[in-house]
Amino acid sequence: MISKKDFKKISDWLWEIPKSFRSDMRVPARIYVSEKMLEESSKDKSLEQLVNVSTLPGIQKYALAMPDMHEGYASPIGGVAAIKISDGIISPGMCGYDINCGMKLLKSEYSEKEIKPHFDKLATEIQKEVPSGLGRGRQVKLSIEQIDKILEGGAQRLIQQGYGEKEDFENCEAGGKLEWADASVVSDYAKNRGRDQVGTLGSGNHFLEIQKVAEIFDEKVAEVFGLFKDQIVIMIHCGSRGLGHQVCTDYLRTMIPAMQKYGIRVPDREFACVPFNSSEGKRYFSAMASAANYAWANRQMITHFIRKAWKSVLGEKASPLVALYDVAHNIIKNETYLINGKETEVAVHRKGATRAFPPGHSEIPEKYREVGQPVLIPGSMGTASYVLVGQKEGEEAFFSTCHGAGRTMSRHEAIKRVSGQEVVKSLESKGITVKCWSLRGIAEEAPMAYKDVDSVVNIVHNAGLSKKVVKLLPLAVIKGE
Amino acid sequence: MKKYEILEHKADLRIRAFGETKEELFLNMMKGMMESMRSEGIKKGENRKIKITSPDLGALLVDFLSEVLYLSQVNKEIYKDVRFKKFTDTELKGELTGQKVERFGEDIKAVTYHGLEICQRKDGTWEAIVLFDI
Repeated sequence: MISKKDFKKISDWLWEIPKSFRSDMRVPARIYVSEKMLEESSKDKSLEQLVNVSTLPGIQKYALAMPDMHEGYASPIGGVAAIKISDGIISPGMCGYDINCGMKLLKSEYSEKEIKPHFDKLATEIQKEVPSGLGRGRQVKLSIEQIDKILEGGAQRLIQQGYGEKEDFENCEAGGKLEWADASVVSDYAKNRGRDQVGTLGSGNHFLEIQKVAEIFDEKVAEVFGLFKDQIVIMIHCGSRGLGHQVCTDYLRTMIPAMQKYGIRVPDREFACVPFNSSEGKRYFSAMASAANYAWANRQMITHFIRKAWKSVLGEKASPLVALYDVAHNIIKNETYLINGKETEVAVHRKGATRAFPPGHSEIPEKYREVGQPVLIPGSMGTASYVLVGQKEGEEAFFSTCHGAGRTMSRHEAIKRVSGQEVVKSLESKGITVKCWSLRGIAEEAPMAYKDVDSVVNIVHNAGLSKKVVKLLPLAVIKGE
Repeated sequence: MKKYEILEHKADLRIRAFGETKEELFLNMMKGMMESMRSEGIKKGENRKIKITSPDLGALLVDFLSEVLYLSQVNKEIYKDVRFKKFTDTELKGELTGQKVERFGEDIKAVTYHGLEICQRKDGTWEAIVLFDI
């Protein structure tokens, strides 16, 4: 069991487990938390899992964990590993099953007061338009050929077909399309699972929320992002659905026996990995990119459905919903950093961590370049969410920051402690409308099962990984199942 | 003999299954997974043939469950039983008894290898623990 005594304090927000802690560590493990949160972190296996991350061949500088860290499968959720491309590995487990699970934020030109009379209708209509994908609502089945085009074309493919605006992909990580995607390395199993899930929300912690801008921390950046006090915005949280999960399953199955060939040993099979430049590694990287494109297309289609609901409630002449940004929190990207004085190309594995590029970075949309990349952080259901902005100081964490609140309690425990009805009642007493098919799903996601998002965000703000721009409060929560 | 039990896990679904034989262990773990999907609107369905090859018994269990999960998701079916025609530590062939469903109440998204345990107990019976991503 790892505890506080095993850590070296680097600052009030950063703690380190030295390389000497376990003989198989290749680099130290670092965790962005307050002293109080550090003690909490010792309660599950996440610290041990982080030490396991530090053993991956080719890992550079540190195995990192964000303050919303909790126990995952191989890596803890909230883990970051930058792995040298020339002589390191690529690991599907370090990206996760839900490839390109991420956030999209749509902004309106309306204030809370203007939308308030339409709330209930709007929430009902959005729930009706966006299917969960588990059997309720609209069911459209695409052909394998159509799926192939989405895998290689991402959100851009759907926008070309009329399901969005040019601004939607301009204001999206990678323009909503990773160029190295290749549909031929994605199995028919994965494609079949994806055929009827484009534009579906899924279950678990995935959600849609109608929110308002409750507090502005940085006027200048908020203005560049087009955010103002009391503004109505819509937040989308979901990923690549069954298709992404199948890609991860398929490649773990390929890599487990292949590891022997490459002489790689890992502490847990879920970490199965191969050299980045091996044939299996290259195929996985292209399959992962394809699943990431599918996820961007999924969030794009959901955006299309939301806009449909928006117009049907507010009228054809209602001012449109514009995408602020769309960013992944489960993904592997090639990025270049100065490491030991040398420009080094690394595959940054972010598992439950959000990329947060600083001002001036060439990979962020021109309109935001002067201030930095928008970072979208959802809170737990019914609590605050945040828009942050990337900072230069974030380089020490490979420009990564947190991705949410982070669970502290199991779903089972949450159901035992609180009923769905009680959660709905407590949210409604705060003026929040809840639309959900399953009361059990609501109980599982009860706010008490999560860390406090405000403290998580304060850590990344104080540590300089990303700076607070605005705080968002929910007015309506819409869940799949 | 108890077929399976749900264990505590912070974010996902962890099942411990039991069996007099390896075949029964595989069947009971499958039942644990299928029953956790809380399907509604069950009707008569089709049988599906399966064939799996894996490096060892633990991987065979995970790969078997992944195959069943895949079939369940794309066909909107659940499987109540499996008849094995061949069963070794690295290979299995069999037929699943399927039932059509209208919808699932829980979306099991993947079967993981994380913390996988499979062993024969002193009394000769079998036990395994598998973590499912939900």
